[in-house]
Amino acid sequence: MPESPPRRVAVTGLGAVSSLGLGAGAVAESVRLGRSGIGPIEQFDAEGFEHTLAGEVRGFQPEDHLWRIDPARWGRSAQFAAAAARMAAADAGVSDATLAGSRAGSSFGTTNGESQVLERLAFASLSGGPQELPPALVGQADAGRISAAVNAELGLTGEAQTVATACAASNYAIGYGYDLVRSGAADFMVCGGADASNRATHAGFHRLGAIARDVPRPFDAERDGIVTAEGGVALLLEPLDAALARGARVYAEVLGYGMTCDAKHMTNPDAASIAACIRAAHRGAGIKPEDVDYVCAHGTGTPANDRTEVAAMREVFGERLPPVSSIKSMLGHTMGAAAGFGALVCCMALRTGFLPPSATVREVDPELGEGLDCVPGTGRAARPRVVQNHGFAFGGNNAITVFGEVAA
Amino acid sequence: MSAAIADIVACGVLSAAGSGLPPLAAALAGPPDREEAPDREAGDGGYPPLRVRPVADARIAERLGRKGLARLTRTDQLGMAATAQAIEQLGGVPADAADRTGVVLGTSVGSTGRIAEFTRDTFVRERPYMVNPSHFPGTLMNSCAGQTAIRYGLTGVNSTLSGGATAGLAAVRFACNALANGHADLLLTGGVEELSAESAWAWHRTGLLGRDVAVGEGGAVFALARGTGGRAPLARLLACELGFADPAQGPAAVARGLAGQVERALARAGLTPAEVTVAVPGAGGPAGWGAVEERALRSALGLPGPRRLRPHRVIGETHGASAALGLAALLAHWSTAEEPGGTGLVTALSPDGQVGCLLVGRAEQQ
Repeated sequence: MPESPPRRVAVTGLGAVSSLGLGAGAVAESVRLGRSGIGPIEQFDAEGFEHTLAGEVRGFQPEDHLWRIDPARWGRSAQFAAAAARMAAADAGVSDATLAGSRAGSSFGTTNGESQVLERLAFASLSGGPQELPPALVGQADAGRISAAVNAELGLTGEAQTVATACAASNYAIGYGYDLVRSGAADFMVCGGADASNRATHAGFHRLGAIARDVPRPFDAERDGIVTAEGGVALLLEPLDAALARGARVYAEVLGYGMTCDAKHMTNPDAASIAACIRAAHRGAGIKPEDVDYVCAHGTGTPANDRTEVAAMREVFGERLPPVSSIKSMLGHTMGAAAGFGALVCCMALRTGFLPPSATVREVDPELGEGLDCVPGTGRAARPRVVQNHGFAFGGNNAITVFGEVAA
Repeated sequence: MSAAIADIVACGVLSAAGSGLPPLAAALAGPPDREEAPDREAGDGGYPPLRVRPVADARIAERLGRKGLARLTRTDQLGMAATAQAIEQLGGVPADAADRTGVVLGTSVGSTGRIAEFTRDTFVRERPYMVNPSHFPGTLMNSCAGQTAIRYGLTGVNSTLSGGATAGLAAVRFACNALANGHADLLLTGGVEELSAESAWAWHRTGLLGRDVAVGEGGAVFALARGTGGRAPLARLLACELGFADPAQGPAAVARGLAGQVERALARAGLTPAEVTVAVPGAGGPAGWGAVEERALRSALGLPGPRRLRPHRVIGETHGASAALGLAALLAHWSTAEEPGGTGLVTALSPDGQVGCLLVGRAEQQ
């Protein structure tokens, strides 16, 4: 790793495949208005489940968005990642020729990898025996194919890293890409995350009693869980100087990030470890708690997560808690893409001037304490300058990214 | 020679050859068809008619004890047992260093056996959600790294990377980046892959394995640090390069892509091809890809080039663990090699397009 002076890192392209629409503009507009992307499960047979809603991407036609790769050869998660990456590159105004001639790679996060492929393999094995496993499907099973699809679609020859740190994974991926661009090891990194709606994930959260009756209500007194969801999201990172020199639109600057591990319990979050992660992110970004204008929460809407997350923030921010909201109130929990959607919305908030809402909150949980501004209802016009984006996961994996305004 | 990107200060390894470096070294020095007493015969226990090379269960239990093992996936157990060895060599991790110490592991999809069982349950139980809740975390790829962190109280950077046969390189590169950018001081880094009936059938159905290659399993974990803190390193990582060569462009393009990564690694380390004394190709298992890799090695290193060490001949094809086990094989080889010094090259390529290599300097004194 080169020891040259660190470079500032800009986000110049955004892409999204989501239940709230395609592209950053559609997602941000829906978020600002507090719209919901949640509806009946269509990606798997939901018969027998008591909870049958999910935040699914409806009517996605991968061939409309992929120029190079053949969707038939890739699982749904890889299709999401590659389509979002294609949008981000187009949004940034970076041509394939430029990317092919640059040190350019990808890092994408995921929780369940190609979960629909694994599900189809399990079903094939169950119905016909393992001797009937379709070989072509076996070849699509590795989670590493998510970033491989991005590189193949954009013609990137740098590394293709797939980070599998569950529901914090996109923040790990963005942080990793940031380090590579900052240190000079790469000139473009396409970063984000992807996951597909699937039966096993829904069943797992269902069994844990972690799924909401109707919609997720982060920070609400009667919040009762998550809604499983899917999507793909991509951010294109490049050196700020290079972006300005080519006249690119700069959404935001990546100021830094931090990572910690709870090392206590596989599924219960830990406030001390999250607080340590926030401090690590502030150190990495070179900011103080009072610099933060908005927190895009992990905010799953389970009683335990929101309680623990707010407690951790109070530990770091003290009396002055910045506005904090959860876009999972609209998107549901997109798993490995979740922190990436948070990052995308943070970039749009900095660029266009608003705070995303907690759209479904009806009565803020008094047990979360005084002075919690969770931006209820719809988005709020504001000019945040520094925002932080949370991502926490099973396995105790925590990662937080920090983004800053770049004055036009 | 430029500075190392990280030092290897401890190494734990578990494979069909046994536990630790000495049995692996012995297996590598023996004939290629050397057969350890297998836990199961080909075709048994729901397995396809394919040779398999499991890790003996007793070897896992000897490190971890039997208590609580049943709740862990086999992937968890393999990764944890390899980590246990490395931590033992370090003499433990001091409590005041726990938040600067972490775990970074590569895998293909995580526990194939657990994922298959859990998903099957959603189809066969009375209600699809009547799955075993305590089995849910084990279906995630980060289960092994998370469980290992819990066992040893390691609150520093914890990550999991997926990338088929390059997963171990992906983990090493992630770890070296985290060390270089000050996110951690010591990272237990490696790769893990379990043998299950499902993964064996997957290999069997695709017909991708070369003739005479068994399906194996195992884990290798290396304690990586920048500077050794007074410890004698086992070896030094001089470069870790990863790139992408789209297989849709054909095998020659993949070979060129891998050769390019080897050339970059050599340039980074300030070494010439002739200074590489041993190469450990990772793609020996899958038929065809071994030839692609060999073409890259010949292109980057010339002919005849360094000797080749082929661990898959004794431990089988280990997929997500193969690059990490390749590095362990290199250290095992050096632990018994009589000639001093040397530089090793571990290469890996994935049919999905990831290509990469590790350049490793042998420690001055073993």
